Amino acid sequence: MSGTSGKTDSGRPIGRRYILGILMRLLVNFAVGVGALYAILFFVLSKPLAGEYAAVYHQLRGLATYMRPVVTVSVLAYALLASLSTAALCVYIFHRVAGPLYRMEQVLEEFRSGAATRPVSFRHGDQAGPLAEAFNAWVGVLRQDRGRLLARMEEAERLCLLDEATCRAEMGKALRQVADDLAAYR
Amino acid sequence: MTRSQYSRLRKIRYVNPRLQGGAALLFAFLIAAGGTAFGALAGRALRQTLLSAAVRGHYPMRSAFEIVREPLAGYLAALFAGTFLPAAVLLLVLAFAARSGINRVVQALRASADRDLSTPARVRGSAAIPRLGELVDGARAETLASLRSIRSEAEDLAGGGVPAEEFRLRWDALKQRIRGIAP
Repeated sequence: MSGTSGKTDSGRPIGRRYILGILMRLLVNFAVGVGALYAILFFVLSKPLAGEYAAVYHQLRGLATYMRPVVTVSVLAYALLASLSTAALCVYIFHRVAGPLYRMEQVLEEFRSGAATRPVSFRHGDQAGPLAEAFNAWVGVLRQDRGRLLARMEEAERLCLLDEATCRAEMGKALRQVADDLAAYR
Repeated sequence: MTRSQYSRLRKIRYVNPRLQGGAALLFAFLIAAGGTAFGALAGRALRQTLLSAAVRGHYPMRSAFEIVREPLAGYLAALFAGTFLPAAVLLLVLAFAARSGINRVVQALRASADRDLSTPARVRGSAAIPRLGELVDGARAETLASLRSIRSEAEDLAGGGVPAEEFRLRWDALKQRIRGIAP
């Protein structure tokens, strides 16, 4: 079968390497998010404690009072950063699955509308390659059968040059063969 | 779809809001839940750590960060584990669900190549794959209906009793219908 560049490792619709790749990217993404949260809290809390006992006591009490808002704002920044980067990651990575599915939907709609169907091929690196292979194989079988049925009917037509009775008999025979061939479809 | 149309699709990354957007929303929910838990637990614990350090009055540390560094590192590690591990599980569940759905569609198409057009794909789940399964089943059902109609017409014509002129017309019409199979 030609034209399916979207073959995945070990012939699976979604390859293991692809899933591992997403897992690794997610790991890095989440680690960067937590790292950013750490950096924000470090930046807020790393101010040196200056002065004597009373001054340090008041600084720590003050910091303790503002700890919750500080953590809340830091967490909001972390959640925003991590969610946006994960959303971008989802869009960027899952288009390798979403793209082929969209393409197959288009091809199937074309097929159902009766328009000429070309062999389906996916982009290099796309997942779901077996979908295109299986669809192309099915259309190939249909076309093969169509060719065989037409060849039988045309062969019967050629025999019509002899005489009318032979012509009708050959056509009837061809029609029975056509019906028998189509009986295989269930 | 022509090759030029498809090459335009190459530049479009956001093609399926239900699949890509749905996954992004689920991960964002996990991050938000982890962040909320971290905010509630770490906020209270770090506040307590600072207050007890203030009361104790021993300050070998140069900054408040040095006082909270250890508990903070623990909470951050817990946040990382608590968000990454569920996200990894979620990703695996999504990937295996998608793989299973696509496999069912592939099996239905392979069965079609063996001339079985009636066994449904039975794709369950969410996002785009059940819709693809429905489209495949629809295409198979329409093809089967068309082939059965051609077969019935062939049997009818082969049965005889049709006048020669009408036979010729129906013969040509039948050929035309056969040409319409998988154009």
